[in-house]
Amino acid sequence: MMEAIRNLAQDTTSASSAKAVVDPATQKAQMRQHLVAIGANRDEEAFVSVYEYFAGRVKSFLIGKGMNEDSAEELMQEIMLIIWRRAESYDPAKAAASTWIFTIARNRHIDFIRGNKRIEVELDDEILELETTERDVQEKHVNDEQAAVRLARALDRLPQEQRQVMHLSYFRGQSHGAIAQWLDLPIGTVKSRIRLAMQAVRTQLVAEDFEH
Amino acid sequence: MNISEQTIGIDPVSHHLNDETLLDYACGALPVAMETLVACHLTVCPHCRERNQLADNVNGQMLADQKPATIKLSAAELLSQARSKPAISVSKKTNAVGDKSVPRPLGRLLPGPIESLEWRAVAPGIKQFALNNQPRQAGAFKLLRLEPGITLSQHTHNERELTYVVRGSYRDEIGHFKAGDIADLDGHVEHKPIVGDEEVCIALIATDAPVKYTTMLGKIMQPFVGI
Repeated sequence: MMEAIRNLAQDTTSASSAKAVVDPATQKAQMRQHLVAIGANRDEEAFVSVYEYFAGRVKSFLIGKGMNEDSAEELMQEIMLIIWRRAESYDPAKAAASTWIFTIARNRHIDFIRGNKRIEVELDDEILELETTERDVQEKHVNDEQAAVRLARALDRLPQEQRQVMHLSYFRGQSHGAIAQWLDLPIGTVKSRIRLAMQAVRTQLVAEDFEH
Repeated sequence: MNISEQTIGIDPVSHHLNDETLLDYACGALPVAMETLVACHLTVCPHCRERNQLADNVNGQMLADQKPATIKLSAAELLSQARSKPAISVSKKTNAVGDKSVPRPLGRLLPGPIESLEWRAVAPGIKQFALNNQPRQAGAFKLLRLEPGITLSQHTHNERELTYVVRGSYRDEIGHFKAGDIADLDGHVEHKPIVGDEEVCIALIATDAPVKYTTMLGKIMQPFVGI
């Protein structure tokens, strides 16, 4: 088992490497089903699959945030256990497995470094506004595997300079202001790259929605 | 602008978060004060909640694309360790909601209803209630209570200022901001907000750095006033 995980970690250099022989949409659908199976009946086989795919990635994410090897390993294990214990709160209709796992890893890391929880919308807030306008519907994206694959493609197609700021924002977890300093660019340039990138992702998703 | 529309509150939120602020929020890059403000707006704005979901999806995809690090423990080993240890009790302690008429991320910071807070007068027509006790250099986090019709001094911002309108409204060079709206400003904006005549305006403010005033009176008031 250990051997297999080590090999996986060494062989897999990116999502597009030879390991990803499974078609991405199928792979994403499987991860959703695995999480549902864990939530429904603590399916250990499903957890092994989720762990083999995500544990090393979550650890990379934490190392990217500046944690050393040992603390990243420890926090990764804690995050994977949260996934094991709270999988019933995962809603496959609302988010891809990777989105749900990212939010858990991010929130747990914030909690760890800051000592207090990330502040989020409380979905049972009496004053939560639910009424949507026409504009919101345009903004609403289907959260199925095809949409997730299109999102991945949209990110791949971004011009290098836009991809760079999106990556830095994810990998370093720094604000756009800090990224501007890091890249020695005017803050306005970084803002417009982020806006263009998000716009590109949005329009590709919307445009391709029309094709289907 | 139709007054009856404002008072019965059927206007949809019309000023939203910028993409870069939403991305900062999604990446966990905002300080607590700004995170709170963003969460307040998201509570009343389904449009920005959708956009926030997209930012989370983008980050989820980046996680999936990431090169995995070598891990020390197998899934089976982790589960067997977990069985022999009691579950880590994550502290669920959250503050009671002091005011249920405002978004909870703010309501939890208040000792009681917003109207009956111990507001401190800082200038004619302006009262404030501080939400943190950090030095001013670390940025402000406070509520402002502004009397109907008053005008604030012309000012600009060093870095970033987020304003969430809790009650009432104000108008400036950028537009008309009503309850639920967010003003997501940076250092390039110089503005002079005028509070709506109809009612007291209560605004939640978070800044990265102290506000820079461009008039003499403004400079004198600098320590006290956000927006």
